[in-house]
Amino acid sequence: MTAVEEPRAAAFVRPDGKEKVTGAGRYTADLNLTGQLVAKFRYADHTHARILRIDTARARALPGVLAVVTHEDVPDVLYGGMVKDRRLFAKEKVRFEGDIVAGVAATTAEIAECAAALIEVDYEPLPAITDFEASMGEGSALVHDDWESYEADDALLRDGNRLGYSTIVKGDAAAAMASADVVVKSRFVTDPVQGVPIEPRAVIAQWQGDKVTVWTSTQVPYAARGGIAHTLQIPESNVRVIVPLLGGGFGAKCDFHFEGHVAALARAARRPVKLVFSRREEFFAVGHRREGMVIELETGARADGTLLARRGRLVLDKGAYCGEGGFFAQMAAMHALGPYKIETADIESSLNYSTNQPSSSIRAPTAPQVCWALEQHMDELAEALGMDPIDLRRHTLIEEGTVTATGQKLERIAMKETLEKAVELIGYGQELPEDEAIGVAVGWWPCFAASSGAYVKLNGDGSGTIITGAQENGTGAVMAMPKFVAEELGMQPEDFSILYQDTDAAPSDMGSCGSQTTFNSGRAVIAAAVDLREQLLDAASDKLEAARDDLELVGGAVRVKGSPEKTVTIADLAGSGTFHGKGSGEPPEGPPAEPAEGCVGRLGLESFHAPQLIAHAARVRVDRATGVVRVLQVAAAHDCGRILNRLGADGQVYGGVVMGIGQALSEGTQLDAEGRHRNAHLTDYKLVTASDAPQIDVAWIETDTPGAGPKGSKGVGEPPCVPTAGAIANAIAKVIGSRVRSLPMTPERVWDASP
Amino acid sequence: MSVSSYVTAGSVDDVLAALAGGARPVAGGTDLVVGARSGKSSLPESLVAIHRVAELRGVRVSADGLRLGALASHEAICENEEIQARYSALADACTIVGSHATRAQGTIGGNLMNASPAMETGGPLICLGATVTLRSAAGERTIGLADLFTGPGKTVAEPGELLISVDVPAPAAGTGSAYLRLEYRRQMEIAVVGASALVTVDGGKVTDARIAMTALAPTIRHVPEAEAALIGSDGGPAAIEAAGEAVAAASSPISDVRGSAGYRRAMAAVIAGRAIEQALARARA
Ligand SMILES: Cc1cc2nc3c(=O)[nH]c(=O)nc-3n(C[C@H](O)[C@H](O)[C@H](O)COP(=O)(O)OP(=O)(O)OC[C@H]3O[C@@H](n4cnc5c(N)ncnc54)[C@H](O)[C@@H]3O)c2cc1C
Repeated sequence: MTAVEEPRAAAFVRPDGKEKVTGAGRYTADLNLTGQLVAKFRYADHTHARILRIDTARARALPGVLAVVTHEDVPDVLYGGMVKDRRLFAKEKVRFEGDIVAGVAATTAEIAECAAALIEVDYEPLPAITDFEASMGEGSALVHDDWESYEADDALLRDGNRLGYSTIVKGDAAAAMASADVVVKSRFVTDPVQGVPIEPRAVIAQWQGDKVTVWTSTQVPYAARGGIAHTLQIPESNVRVIVPLLGGGFGAKCDFHFEGHVAALARAARRPVKLVFSRREEFFAVGHRREGMVIELETGARADGTLLARRGRLVLDKGAYCGEGGFFAQMAAMHALGPYKIETADIESSLNYSTNQPSSSIRAPTAPQVCWALEQHMDELAEALGMDPIDLRRHTLIEEGTVTATGQKLERIAMKETLEKAVELIGYGQELPEDEAIGVAVGWWPCFAASSGAYVKLNGDGSGTIITGAQENGTGAVMAMPKFVAEELGMQPEDFSILYQDTDAAPSDMGSCGSQTTFNSGRAVIAAAVDLREQLLDAASDKLEAARDDLELVGGAVRVKGSPEKTVTIADLAGSGTFHGKGSGEPPEGPPAEPAEGCVGRLGLESFHAPQLIAHAARVRVDRATGVVRVLQVAAAHDCGRILNRLGADGQVYGGVVMGIGQALSEGTQLDAEGRHRNAHLTDYKLVTASDAPQIDVAWIETDTPGAGPKGSKGVGEPPCVPTAGAIANAIAKVIGSRVRSLPMTPERVWDASP
Repeated sequence: MSVSSYVTAGSVDDVLAALAGGARPVAGGTDLVVGARSGKSSLPESLVAIHRVAELRGVRVSADGLRLGALASHEAICENEEIQARYSALADACTIVGSHATRAQGTIGGNLMNASPAMETGGPLICLGATVTLRSAAGERTIGLADLFTGPGKTVAEPGELLISVDVPAPAAGTGSAYLRLEYRRQMEIAVVGASALVTVDGGKVTDARIAMTALAPTIRHVPEAEAALIGSDGGPAAIEAAGEAVAAASSPISDVRGSAGYRRAMAAVIAGRAIEQALARARA
């Protein structure tokens, strides 16, 4: 185990940085095709209603309108991740504010908007089902009347409005709870949160014959391609998805969605069609937000802090549709355990439909909320035990050899070391002004192993091109690939261009999600570089008449070890043949877990593959009279395996911490009684600004965790979001002497909670 | 609806002629255009851009007082050292408008004529006793700023009237002023509660006080009860608290996404108290 204090190599600056910062970069919305039309949607007029009649005649008659598309104009198919429960255009029912009833393509935005308003829709309004906790109750009206007929993953254990149900059961938690010296019970509630990428979504579709090319701001181009093919019932090979520069995603641009609507409009209009979302649509119409939750926790401990039992009851708001978030119930349950040694457990987690906006992955889905609750709960336990919260964690955190409550044996992890490092960096225990305090929280997050593939080819001039299916959503993960390839080939990162974000060019890839780009796509790119290196060594061995084993690649050349004069440059070799490597690498195998009998709703998350471990410490100042909280400093210590690109990894922590501060203090979607957004704009959905960003100290504890990704790396993109709100919450509680049990912890809520 | 006529005026007379023809003025556009984009209200059919009119520019401080041309930007105002020293509440207000970009682009005329009850400069200028000069093709009039606002987004100005300038008399010796806003974050805020205070001290006594509240009633307005609690007092904690309570009592806050009425009322007392404290400290300095 080593602590990384300094960047290991000279800082590597991502090649797309300058064009993005200077405004030279071209995003989807910047592209225009000859003859292009503008798309607008007619959204649901009620959050829950039966559709009685749709009449598009007046809209179609408007001059300048070239297409109006409803469910009647596309194949009658359902789509969705683990449950196929949604149509492109609503048919029998609308189920949330952003459900799309029809699409219009017209020559101008004004005409398209006007036409969308001219579509006549008759509804039978139904009561909104906004209370996602009550929606699983007996007798609740159903969001999906015909849920049983849907194609779905059997492991979800669906039932009525419950789309997913998972439990983690180990031993006899009731008996252990009864025997505990101290029992603490808490209930927490969280508001939904948005991803808020700076670039609102844009899609352009153009047909040539029966083939369609779609330019789209997606994090998952291959899923988008699959979705278009499925919903329009055309072969995947007829669909090409290209992603121009992507202006952020944070998970919100995962999943297939609006590409299908725009492709359908373009086909009907026989013209290219372009959709660009307004900021308001980017809030209410997307099927991706962080879910609201109700989190109830109960923990029994021995007087020395040993955790004897954990009970948990989690209820998650899935909103109207499944999307790709079907795994949330189990993921949330894992976070209710947290990275702790617990002797018995009884956790149940329900993922419920409601007529609210659908929730799906946003940076570390489910983790920040559950961690925020659990880490406050742990501090409450420490208080009840009369222990320092750090000492309680020292005593109870997972470590090498721990067998978790789900039966996973953990090897070579640095959980406790991250805690010690964060505590050291923040100066825990120092004398502070009376309105300041330090809070600490810990968390974990799994790696996701998946298949991937890449090519690396050499160009005649000795430069190279990397062809990857990986998607760059702004993290810089793809941008770092030239660095990895250059290291294998003894070349410079600047020698490589990247061809990416084009489904016709590269092998299929999972996309920019799950902190997996370096883990999987990086592995493939390195494997392709190794393949290419072998080819170069073969060629050089002929040319230099030397044994392959005596050769090395250094400084853009292949040379004989020890005889630097016997050299052939890679540029010379490149001119003499077609060198191209390809690779996939083997996805590492996940750890075995033997969950105790009684665990249900298993979707593969019951063990955390090569877990990333995180400890954050936050120093905050609370204005007691107003409840306004300022975060002054955050110390972040992570075990994310080997760090391959320090500058990029640090950047993920800075961004993740700032995003975490927003979730902690100001970011929350407020819904009215019908489930409509009340603050679908940046004035009142309050992101943290650069002026609010605190000092952020980052430390990496490098470990060689089994099952890690290339060169011992894990993931770094999502973890920084996980414990930030929890650390801030614990600091606030220390200043005001009581707990804020709703997230975000807005000034009013802090003020309300203050005694 | 979209804009069918847009002209850039070169002189006040040009502007007045356009206004007489039914046009609406646009200065920095940070309220008008941004509001239209976000769907708050559609753009007027006919616009006259006034940003090139030289007569409407300028920030002039003299012994008698301060004159601000309608086009004076928040940035020009808050960077002026004399305004910082003698008209501190106004400088406080302009310093926190939006972000750097908003302050460079937004004008005092636009801020006042937009008449938002959450607008920053209204409270300070009411406390400072400002008057505004309105001119139309028919003539000119000067009115007290407190009389300009009639409701959210509403003023007494006729459609043909242009705000030409804002005049502020020089504060008496021994006067200090301050404006404070409750801020959830450090930039890009909108006042949920704001308070302005101007106090004059002589010896140990407060001889004059003007207190105004922002975002706590349909218009920004001053609070005579709070002023009464201070005038004649020693400006100590009890008087400050009483004045703060008076502001809370006079407020008629709403509940919305930014906060509940109860929180706003409680914050009215806190923020007003702090503004008064700061004004007193400046008066005594
Ligand atoms: C991101 C952002 C943040 C903001 N933050 C704040 C803030 O913190 N505090 C705050 O108070 N405001 C804020 N605002 C609002 C706005 O910036 C200010 O009110 C600004 O001073 C308006 O000036 P303007 O010149 O841009 O007005 P414009 O938009 O040009 O005009 C506003 C209105 O006044 C009328 N008008 C303009 N000039 C005249 C004139 N001379 N005579 C008659 N009528 C006139 C226009 O017809 C229009 O109705 C913010 C705006 C944005 C976009």
